[in-house]
Amino acid sequence: MRRGFFTLAAAMILFTSSPGLAQIKIGVLSDLSGPTSDVGRPYADGVRHCVEHLNKQGGIAGQKIELLQVDYAYNVQQAIAAYNRFKGQGIVALQGWGTADTEALVRFVARDEIPTYSASYSAHLTDPKTAPYNFFIAADYTTQARAALQYFHDNWTEDRPIKLGLLYPNHPYGLAPIPGIKAFAQELGFELVGEDNVGLGDMDATSQLLRMQRLAPDYVWVGGTISSTAVILKDAQKIGMKAKFITNIWGSDEQLLKLAGPAVNGHYGLHTSAVYGADVPGMKVIEELTGGRHQNIHYIRGFASMYTMAEAIRVAAEQGKITGPAIRDASRTLRDFDPLGLTPPISFFEEDHRPNMTVYLYQLFEDRMELVAEQELERRPEWLGH
Amino acid sequence: MRGKCGLFHTSYASETRFFQTGFQKLSLGVFLALLLCSPFFLSNYQVSMLNMINIAVIGAVALNLLTGCCGQISLGHGAFIGVGAYTTGLCTLAGWPFFAALLFGGLVTAVVGMLFGIPSLRLKGIYLAIATLAAQLILSYVFLHWESVTGGSIGMGLDAPVILGMSLDNDAKMFYLTFGVAAASVLLVANILRTRHGRAFVAIRDFHQSAESVGVNLFAYKLQAFAVSSFLAGIAGGLWAHYTMYITPEQFDIMLSIQYLAMIIIGGLGSVLGSIFGAVFVTLLPEFLGALAQLAGSFFPNISMYFLALREGIFGLILVLFLIFEPEGLAHRWRLIKAYWKLYPFAH
Repeated sequence: MRRGFFTLAAAMILFTSSPGLAQIKIGVLSDLSGPTSDVGRPYADGVRHCVEHLNKQGGIAGQKIELLQVDYAYNVQQAIAAYNRFKGQGIVALQGWGTADTEALVRFVARDEIPTYSASYSAHLTDPKTAPYNFFIAADYTTQARAALQYFHDNWTEDRPIKLGLLYPNHPYGLAPIPGIKAFAQELGFELVGEDNVGLGDMDATSQLLRMQRLAPDYVWVGGTISSTAVILKDAQKIGMKAKFITNIWGSDEQLLKLAGPAVNGHYGLHTSAVYGADVPGMKVIEELTGGRHQNIHYIRGFASMYTMAEAIRVAAEQGKITGPAIRDASRTLRDFDPLGLTPPISFFEEDHRPNMTVYLYQLFEDRMELVAEQELERRPEWLGH
Repeated sequence: MRGKCGLFHTSYASETRFFQTGFQKLSLGVFLALLLCSPFFLSNYQVSMLNMINIAVIGAVALNLLTGCCGQISLGHGAFIGVGAYTTGLCTLAGWPFFAALLFGGLVTAVVGMLFGIPSLRLKGIYLAIATLAAQLILSYVFLHWESVTGGSIGMGLDAPVILGMSLDNDAKMFYLTFGVAAASVLLVANILRTRHGRAFVAIRDFHQSAESVGVNLFAYKLQAFAVSSFLAGIAGGLWAHYTMYITPEQFDIMLSIQYLAMIIIGGLGSVLGSIFGAVFVTLLPEFLGALAQLAGSFFPNISMYFLALREGIFGLILVLFLIFEPEGLAHRWRLIKAYWKLYPFAH
């Protein structure tokens, strides 16, 4: 009995004190319980499942990836605390989340040389002059909107300018792409008929929509998130509005289809990734990982974000060692990298962190999101950061 | 004092002394010495938590002076912190020395605070709370839309503070700055409360008509409370801006104001020590709950998910429990603990 105990103790000591395999530590800032948790959870699942997949395949350069995840509840202070904890634990890269925290950490990650792949697609995070260690894998918010304008402009058949309306929350996220949209609409010869605010938490948008209806726009850009977009679409249907609504990346997903029901039919959603079940190589991997359970579109982007970061880490490992600056430099060498067909090909450059200029336009129906077009814009230098 | 059993004051000055006994001086000295040495033995993460606590202490002690001591409820504290952050940031960007920028940030916030404090002559209680809520909304709007000055939704990038040519570019260096300013702020408020101004504030809080009938100029003193409180809020904002080095309007929303109110309620209204306890408690609680969720997750992987979802609820529950069972806050509990040990083992 006693011998058995000592053998067990010795084995435990050996087991715990053995050096083990080196691990690549990556911090993940997730909102699992805060105001953006409805989309934060699937995104975080995507990141986690991607790491599971990579580790099953032997990790990167023989090293397993270890995720250190913190639920920061969309609170900047908690994000900074979590970041500092990650740093102490020796992370080499960070998977970030929202705009508020990504921006609050821009200087921190630059100072500590920790590459960050976030889910905030604010255009100014693409300018390496101000955000040298920030990356993301989707076209930025302004580029997404510009792509929609370009698509509708190219497919317009009537002999009059397109009338455009704008509905967005009076919130940093809602306001960020507005100047860029206005400028490009003017360039393409759109007629901007009016703009109004619908808050992210508003339960009614009838008065704004009645005002908008009088201006008879052909298209209305909606810059909110799912709940406010559902309110807008349902109220628009109620008052019999004819305009087509264009929702941005956080304004439409499978949840919106349920929330808005028939009111969603025929409107447009801008996205930068495939939907679950699409015929791309990555979907087989995801279906296997999730046991065939349907995952929403944010999950796919979470997966693609981690997959792209892993590729940068792989390149860094190939070239020497896995450090923050090496991963950043490796990210900048990616050229038309294809994350298993889940997003358009991704390239980063030393002076331009825009991953691509491609946006998918989906038409929304209550039972599906149907890919209508893959709109590509030219990579104009003056759009960098705006 | 030695040789006597208990404290015997023979003057007001002696009664209002900060330290009544040598033991108090000694224990505070040891505590401060430990705190000053802490960056040498704490991890970077722990020092960063201390920095956030220091900044929260300044904001909480400022709000406690206004709300806890003078009875003027403010829901605009988060926005006042924002005013300080933006003003200090703009000044340092313009090349001002850090301390000049910080002081100017405080002064501008004091003026803004006084402006929004003007309705306090006519309004009190919940009505004043709504008026200050208006301040929060108006200032948030200004942060977001005055793009040429604040950077609007893009925000404003800043550098680490530079003091006498030394850049405070890590948490350990930043700690001495935040700690020094927090200590000075606490000392300032504690001293204000010992003066005739402080007594006037308390008189206004307890019953404004009585205060007026003994010659307290209500308007002037209320404005003073707003000015001092906003000044310190501005200082907290200036430090926060240069600690995070990037400020956006989202950081100074109504939730920040509510968080500071929670701090002073949990810590103890009208108590300087309570502000410190509250700031420590509210800053560390999410970290503690997060660690608890992680620990629970290592034993029951599925439980941590539910626990995380409950976290915000737990925070609310703790606040409610404090209001019911400890309405005078942690400071009161601290006094009871001290009294218990003072009398131990002869409690009765």
